[in-house]
Amino acid sequence: MEEEGGLTVEVLKVTEISKNFGGVSAVANFSMVQRENEITAIIGPNGAGKTTVFNLITGVYPVDTGRVWFYDQETTRMFAHTITALGITRTFQNIRLFRNLNVLDNIKVAYGVKTRYTVWEEMGRLPRVRQEEREAADLARSYLAYFGMEKYADYFPYNLSYGLQRRLELARALMASPKLLLLDEPGAGLNPKEIRELMGTLLKIKEEKKLSMIVVEHHMELVMNICSTLHVLDFGKKIAEGRPEEIKKNEQVLQAYLGDEV
Amino acid sequence: MEFYLKVLEITCLFTILVLGAYLMTGLTGLFSLGQGGFVSIGAYTAAIAFLKFNLPFPACLALAVAMGAAVGFVIGLPTLRLHRDYFLLVTFGFGEMVRAALLHLAQLTGGALGVAGIPKMVGLPTIILSIVVITLITANLKRSRFGRNCIAIRDDELAATLMGIPVYRHKMAVFILSSAITAYGGALYAFVIMFIEPNLFNWLESAKLIIITFVGGVNSITGAIVTSVVYYSFGEFFRFVDVWRDVLLALAVLLVTIFRSQGIFGNWELTLSNLRFWKRKADSPWKS
Repeated sequence: MEEEGGLTVEVLKVTEISKNFGGVSAVANFSMVQRENEITAIIGPNGAGKTTVFNLITGVYPVDTGRVWFYDQETTRMFAHTITALGITRTFQNIRLFRNLNVLDNIKVAYGVKTRYTVWEEMGRLPRVRQEEREAADLARSYLAYFGMEKYADYFPYNLSYGLQRRLELARALMASPKLLLLDEPGAGLNPKEIRELMGTLLKIKEEKKLSMIVVEHHMELVMNICSTLHVLDFGKKIAEGRPEEIKKNEQVLQAYLGDEV
Repeated sequence: MEFYLKVLEITCLFTILVLGAYLMTGLTGLFSLGQGGFVSIGAYTAAIAFLKFNLPFPACLALAVAMGAAVGFVIGLPTLRLHRDYFLLVTFGFGEMVRAALLHLAQLTGGALGVAGIPKMVGLPTIILSIVVITLITANLKRSRFGRNCIAIRDDELAATLMGIPVYRHKMAVFILSSAITAYGGALYAFVIMFIEPNLFNWLESAKLIIITFVGGVNSITGAIVTSVVYYSFGEFFRFVDVWRDVLLALAVLLVTIFRSQGIFGNWELTLSNLRFWKRKADSPWKS
């Protein structure tokens, strides 16, 4: 960890994490460092283990070996919900919204980690509950406005277009006021125009919310333009790390993507 | 008149049980066939405390609630780690276990003879007051963090965890609360019907509670209450159709699941603002 007032602070440090699923190695000895206010990407062919890395960082699966630090705190053996409360939130490759909650409530769910009232207070809807619920609603509406979705507050997720659902998931992830945001294929299913909008949005969020982000993505345009560091995975192993222009020329990466003949 | 009062009492009693099941199965999606077990625990605890230990009546009710919550906690510890069908099977086993235990602990429970001679301490006002209070509590929970977390867990457990909800702990809270409400309903039952026996609430009755919450709509407390009142009271008035009662219920369930999979009431709740909205619509039909 760098000294106070130094250049950059490490948000996330992952050392040599591995995960096997019934003898199949999904991720092997993966390490990475994420610095503050930076967007990095994890790329690689299908089945390279990118999403598994996210699942290991967020505590969905326990790691077999290796360790994970978030700022100064080791999160390796923590529950997923504790890790979220510390400040890591994520979105999902296949959008996972709560289909029986309306748009506003979907966002409010992520505010649960911030509320302080107890169940007993809730039962009687005491003043503190009312007040914090009002705060939650206001904040949720401000996030909807941020993504230009105010008029959809009462909609249910299945009434929204694919692009809007993705935006809603992003809004929900931000509602927990994370310090690190993990985006699992935020551009999947979006058309080129929407991808460019998304790039703008991500950069804007990064600046305004002082967030760090890790992106798993297939759209090279997005990755190359907004990410400062790329980690390339193939068959669960990291085969390259570097700045976008370095990765573009890397022999091993080209081989992994395009095959041996190249 | 006497008859109608009796019907109303029983209907309201069962509605309390439906509210307990609503929290667990409707809101949180935990399918429990063990509700009957908690009814029996509540009924027996209160009745035995009153008759054998001569405790004052309110203390008996409190004891029944505490017992329901405590047993709920103990049963919840292992079972809440299970999912869907496994959870259903284990809670089914629990319900039947309670029944068997009550039959065999004859010194305390009177075995198959049941417990007779319970005085009628509870009338309609107490029951209705109980429903109002329990409904208010449930509604308050539903419209803040607790309820959102319940629905989030029901919809997508993984996403719920990753939004910071401690899923296991939350399910435990739901389970304990639901057990406590159900046991309370059971305790009232004992002091209304004045006689309890081990078979008073078998797994079929537990299944009916689940069916009622689904027909009413899992997202609507109003739906659960209205469906419960209709089902249990109409059942009494339509005694002449006899066994066809269950056929009619089955038919209704079938129709609802096919044509209104969200339940009759869907997301609709009877609230002041919803009523006002209705009134506005009625006042100015040309505006909409």
